[in-house]
Amino acid sequence: MIAGLIFYFFAALAVLSSLFVVTRKNAMHSVMYLAFTVLSVAGVFFSLQAEYLGAIQILVYGGGIVVLYIFVIIIVNLNEIKPERRKLFPRMFIFSLPALLFLQIINVLFTNRPTPPAGPEAGLSFTSFAEMLFSTYLIPFEIASILLLAVLIGAIIVARKKLLHDPD
Amino acid sequence: MIPINAVFGLGLLIFFIGLFGVLFRKNLVIMLMSLELLLNGVNVLLAGLSYHMRSPRGSIFAIFIIIMAVSEAAVGFGLVLSYFRQKKTYDMDEFNELKG
Repeated sequence: MIAGLIFYFFAALAVLSSLFVVTRKNAMHSVMYLAFTVLSVAGVFFSLQAEYLGAIQILVYGGGIVVLYIFVIIIVNLNEIKPERRKLFPRMFIFSLPALLFLQIINVLFTNRPTPPAGPEAGLSFTSFAEMLFSTYLIPFEIASILLLAVLIGAIIVARKKLLHDPD
Repeated sequence: MIPINAVFGLGLLIFFIGLFGVLFRKNLVIMLMSLELLLNGVNVLLAGLSYHMRSPRGSIFAIFIIIMAVSEAAVGFGLVLSYFRQKKTYDMDEFNELKG
């Protein structure tokens, strides 16, 4: 009961603030609302008993990605963007695709479906999480670490000022 | 027990709002933010399924999605910075160098 109330509270917060992310004109306001969205999604994770996921969400999104966005918006100075001048066909496309998805959301919300059966492995405990992550999913985990190393090097090389073969 | 329809509705709504932002906005930085919203919606779906099936697999998959989102943000911002240095704009309508 309490978990349900917490879930609905954070769900409403997340939906409201993500709407503000998309609709604000000033990019810095959007970043602040993005931080708000990310923290409320972390609250949703806590109410769904995914504590580790919520903690990682707060650390990585709230602490890392939002700060990265703020730095980029400070570096890239904010000049005005001219209002929309799209042709009729692309405008129809960008209106119809979200509208179809929204109809699908209504459909999902108002059909009754049985809850999926419990899997063979029981429990959401931190121990079972860690055991499965480091046994069944060990190879993807190691590949993810290689991906992070590649991203570290790649982002530095892409964002640096001088080219690699520049003699200076 | 939180009903699965509520979790699905929340995840799909966040995904929908993010898709709306990617398609409608013309500011490149706000489009990247909307991409983060898309990934967050998928993470909510995975965490909800993990909760309902009493299995940690969904959370593990969501962890990998978070790793991928961080990589995407870092490289995406590198590209935005290097593009901005050359063109001095991040209006999506100015990105037409490949047009014949």
